[in-house]
Amino acid sequence: MATSAVRFGALVTLEELVPSSPQFTQGASLRVTGKLQEYDIETAIASIVEGNASLKIDTQHLKVNLRIGSLYQFIGELLIDPSNQAILRARVGRNVDGMDLNLYHQSLQLLRDFQAEQMNSTTS
Amino acid sequence: MDALYNTHVKLLAFDFLKLTPSPTDPSSFFRRGKRLSRAETVGIVVTRDLKPGKFVKFTIDDGSGCISCVLWLNQLNSSYFSRRNPSDVRLIAQAATDFASDLQLGVLARVRGRITDYRGALQISVSDVVVERDPNMQILHWLDCMRSLVMLLARILDSDCSASCARICGVER
Repeated sequence: MATSAVRFGALVTLEELVPSSPQFTQGASLRVTGKLQEYDIETAIASIVEGNASLKIDTQHLKVNLRIGSLYQFIGELLIDPSNQAILRARVGRNVDGMDLNLYHQSLQLLRDFQAEQMNSTTS
Repeated sequence: MDALYNTHVKLLAFDFLKLTPSPTDPSSFFRRGKRLSRAETVGIVVTRDLKPGKFVKFTIDDGSGCISCVLWLNQLNSSYFSRRNPSDVRLIAQAATDFASDLQLGVLARVRGRITDYRGALQISVSDVVVERDPNMQILHWLDCMRSLVMLLARILDSDCSASCARICGVER
């Protein structure tokens, strides 16, 4: 696969991933973070939670050790079924135990505001 | 004065991909009028293509974009290195091999190197790699990049943008 063909995983919180949000799109490349709540070894489907939201992750292509209760970050593509249920087919995943989640959320918002400001200044 | 020219400037991928090559110097690139030649990125390794003895091509996803990187592994066979002290070349080659083995899919890596333009696509020709075990290093890199861009903007004529970016980042100007 050509390296230029891979899309970056857009940073998104699980609480933002609702059907009405622009990131809730078939095939969208996303980076999500959450605590591992469930893992089915037979199907390789994991469930992560962040706040009140959860998301299923298809981990069959990953070689990462999954432990219930640990924090993980996944990058992959969102697959949405006809009933609007979403699952992220992960390309990579990593344990992020020790990540400061408050700092992460604040910085994520800062990064978005910063990029938006940069875009506004180049188009105006 | 090109104060940034020989430093590894911390850049968000979003910014890196907007660099413009110099029409006269293939090793120089411009970002808002400032001349750069080297960059540093921190992100997750999302692709990896190893050709033993030649190179490893990989992609760093930092959350704002993807940066293509190439780490050369051909020092022992290269005519460029044949002019150098053989024991130095062996050390360089060993360091490159060690870096290549650290670069596994899914790891958070800090990568530094020269900015290059390969067939119209910007990439980093890697000089060193550090695998970051602390997951907060990704966040720190975002903040470092934003802060350094605000400082840069404060020195040039885009005062509206630099004022609002400074306000967003809480940086005093």
